[in-house]
Amino acid sequence: MSPDTAPHVRRYVVVFGALLALTLTTVTISYLRLPSAPTVALGLTIAAAKAALVAMFFMHLKGERPMVCWPLALTAFLFAALFAFILWTEADHIVLTTTYHLPPTN
Amino acid sequence: MTSLPYTTDVRPDTGLTNPKLGIWLFLASEVMLFGSLFSAYVLLRTGDPLWPDQSAVLNVPLATLNTIVLISSSITMVLAWEALKMRRIERYRLYMGLTLLLGAGFLLVKAIEYGDKFSHGLMPSTNNFLGLYFTMTGLHALHVLAGMVVNAYLLGPGVRMWQAEPERFTNRVEVAGIYWHFVDLIWIFLFPVLYLL
Repeated sequence: MSPDTAPHVRRYVVVFGALLALTLTTVTISYLRLPSAPTVALGLTIAAAKAALVAMFFMHLKGERPMVCWPLALTAFLFAALFAFILWTEADHIVLTTTYHLPPTN
Repeated sequence: MTSLPYTTDVRPDTGLTNPKLGIWLFLASEVMLFGSLFSAYVLLRTGDPLWPDQSAVLNVPLATLNTIVLISSSITMVLAWEALKMRRIERYRLYMGLTLLLGAGFLLVKAIEYGDKFSHGLMPSTNNFLGLYFTMTGLHALHVLAGMVVNAYLLGPGVRMWQAEPERFTNRVEVAGIYWHFVDLIWIFLFPVLYLL
């Protein structure tokens, strides 16, 4: 354990700045009231980017051992399969209405 | 001295300490737990022509604040671990304390949100969206609380281990940090899915 980890601290601050910027971006985009499909695509892409930053740099997945990475890759595959089956079930009648004109619940 | 093996030395076959491998396998199971709820959301929302305008029901500015609070707690958590690696125990106490404070702030905002919903008669039973909202954010909040209990132990009675076994204690904080970042990661997906889409 060497004492000169100051460069790492700087990296965390940079990542923090990126996460803040992406958060504000995703909120701003939501106020644009785009149609459903681009809203979902953009929102999930930005979320995935934020998640990748947290996983790679805060959780130190970048440069982690294969023994960690392979179980996670399997998890990602199974997670994707779960979603694929759900969407496949609904594929013939997916409705994703742009709901902005509807009143709030009750 | 240690009762469990490979808490500071890596196992020759995995190349990891046991706690490091253990926490990642646990998080893999947590991905499937929250994944099942996210996929329930997808199933219920697709095909529902009357899904409410989520951003009209929920408070987006408050949730944006909460997102920033939780991301901030992630950085204070990783800075706490870095402080231990630099052998600066007082700096560790500061950052771990800040992590706990920010976690408490997150839960306080959630309590305010929930209270506001209940006072308007919006309950989990009201419709599918609210059922999913309360279930997913409620389960997430329980995970935040559990992480705070662990972090409070590591700031309080648990810090005694720093005197006798500093490297083992540092690894404990690292592993607790990985869990805490995962809780942040889940919220990074919950926030856009439940509030913005």
